[in-house]
Amino acid sequence: MSAITAKKRRPFSIGRMLTYLLLYSILLSVSILVLYPLLFTLSSAFSLGDSLAGLTVYPFQQPMGLRQFERLFNETNYAKWFMNTLKIATINSALSVVVTTVTAYVFSRFKFGAKKPLMMSLLILQMFPSFAGMIALYILVWRMGLLDSHLGLILIYAAGNIPYNTWLIKGYLDTIPRSLDEAARVDGAGYFTSFWKIILPIAKPMVVFLAVTSFTGPWMDFILPRLLLKSDANKTLAVGLYELINGRENNNFTMFAAGAVLVAVPFIIIFAFNQKYLTQVLASGAVKE
Amino acid sequence: MAKTKYRVPPLKNKAPVWASTVFMGMGQLLFQKQYVKGAFYALIELLVLINSKYFIKGIVGLVTLGEPRPDLPIRQRPNSIFMMVEGIIFLILLAIFIILYITNIRDAAKLQRDYERTGVYPSTRAFMSSLADTSFAVIGLSPAMLMILFFVVLPLIFSAMLAFTNYSSPHHIPPANTVDWVGMDNFKTLAGRSLWAGAFGRTALWTLTWATLSTTTCYVGGLLIALALINKNIKFPNVFRIIFILPYAVPAMLSLMVWRNLLNGQFGPINRMLIEWGWISQPIHWLSDFTLARISVIVVNLWLGFPYFMMLITGVMTSVPADLYEASEIDGANKRVQFFKITLPMVLYQTVPLFIMSFSFNLNNFGAVYFLTGGGPTDLATTQSGAGATDILMSWMYKLTLDLRQYNMAAVLSILVFLVIAPFSIYNFSRTKAFKEGEL
Repeated sequence: MSAITAKKRRPFSIGRMLTYLLLYSILLSVSILVLYPLLFTLSSAFSLGDSLAGLTVYPFQQPMGLRQFERLFNETNYAKWFMNTLKIATINSALSVVVTTVTAYVFSRFKFGAKKPLMMSLLILQMFPSFAGMIALYILVWRMGLLDSHLGLILIYAAGNIPYNTWLIKGYLDTIPRSLDEAARVDGAGYFTSFWKIILPIAKPMVVFLAVTSFTGPWMDFILPRLLLKSDANKTLAVGLYELINGRENNNFTMFAAGAVLVAVPFIIIFAFNQKYLTQVLASGAVKE
Repeated sequence: MAKTKYRVPPLKNKAPVWASTVFMGMGQLLFQKQYVKGAFYALIELLVLINSKYFIKGIVGLVTLGEPRPDLPIRQRPNSIFMMVEGIIFLILLAIFIILYITNIRDAAKLQRDYERTGVYPSTRAFMSSLADTSFAVIGLSPAMLMILFFVVLPLIFSAMLAFTNYSSPHHIPPANTVDWVGMDNFKTLAGRSLWAGAFGRTALWTLTWATLSTTTCYVGGLLIALALINKNIKFPNVFRIIFILPYAVPAMLSLMVWRNLLNGQFGPINRMLIEWGWISQPIHWLSDFTLARISVIVVNLWLGFPYFMMLITGVMTSVPADLYEASEIDGANKRVQFFKITLPMVLYQTVPLFIMSFSFNLNNFGAVYFLTGGGPTDLATTQSGAGATDILMSWMYKLTLDLRQYNMAAVLSILVFLVIAPFSIYNFSRTKAFKEGEL
């Protein structure tokens, strides 16, 4: 291979040089455009001044300190918002895993008359965008006395994800040989035992996937929590950060930047760890089998 | 597979079937010796009959939505919306009851058919052991089914119904006033010649334009960067790649709110920088000028969205089999021909589904608009309908619900948006692993 490419390498020419000059200048300017907003936010988070107008246009040209982080934790409910979001994400993840795996197990292993219509209904339901029932959800949650509580939010998140995830997990469970759990039942194990001891351990990768996606889902969701949560202490991170800055851009930008950096850094780290996996997922989505 | 249709011989004795048709479980109880099962069915019908006045009240309420009673204090007036929700709950219960009723009749017929073939009815013991099996399935399914009924199905029915009412501020908001059925009036308003119709036409057109432009710019941007980085003579391609992926890794909502401040007309660093460089003398109204705001939304979305396609297209390009290139080289193809005849067609072919998915996502890309411009800037058509220059249908709907309380119009929009989105959803889902591997 290398012999061929070496032979094919064309001699130096001005035209080719210009091409590379152009390519590098494009790549460099795109890099600057990509990095500028991120660096500007980072530098704002560590600035001492409170106003957007007072920031220098070039990042890191002003005195730095942790003042904005102190403000964030002392003057706002940031810590509470974080704990709220963590709580909602964790419970949603656990609830989704329990409800969805059991449902998928029943659909995968039992035969009953309503199975086909039910699976079809789930298929149709997962087509509706989540916002379609927004107004009704608001009234329903209000009527149930769950407005401004996290329970209503968690129930809606968990319920909304059941249709798609049930199909996903059922598809995976179908690939596990039936003889495995049938053998267990011959040995006297009940349905629950064979589900818990045999099926779940085998389906672990899928269960982990489900747990992770339903954990990360609520972190930056905005529409539902904005609709259902009213008091400041009950807000989630997304709503809290939005209302921190909405209409008060000039005075709160640096504090917002501090809050944004605290959220974005874990996201970037998680992303960096999963990048290889993510690229694979994206590529496998693209390549048709 | 051709299905042979067997003729089912007619039942000799139809009495049990008729008995079960008259009252649930009677056939099983009186004729077929299925005491447990029959009693269970009979109990269901009894419960429904005892509570029938609630069923009737609920469904009548759904039909009338209550009469206006200005004479009563506000708290005692009939609340149309609660009546509607409760009416739908009773409708769902009624549907379940009807399904059970039909199941009961079919069960009686099946028992009778088996009896006429074998001469015996299944024993109670056999029924109980099959019950133990099904009870796991029933207990396993009920939480999911209840949650879906309450938090997915009920809201969808309710929203669809709202589109045919006048539930809107300021004259039709319970508990002070009642809500009425208005038929297709809301749809006519949108199709007519009012300010509403104008706002709808403009917003629908912009939604399509936005989805097309935002998806295309991100795709082309991602393609160009991927092509530049795959060039063997570019040094440190991975450093560039890591930089370019960053916008994808940061939560979009945060980036959008940062951009909103960068582009702030008064204090934003971008305007200040351009003034400092002497390129402009007056601040540019990036987000408050009608046309400029639309351009800004698309450009900022390009910043957010090109990394996704860059990653994707790089993945596809590196997966093109090397022998394709070698074979074409033997046939005398040069780099240019290889690019246009091999690389590009492969990339296009494999990324078209993702382009379509991305398009349907952008049709509903609430965040890209709401967090950057809030749907603004506003103009004359905005004052009544609330739809700003950059509002897409989704963000308009959100404002109609949350800020303007025009629930009926929001519901009409959600139906229309759903009709546009549905084909895309079907297409997307039919491609997923879940669908391909799952059998019914």
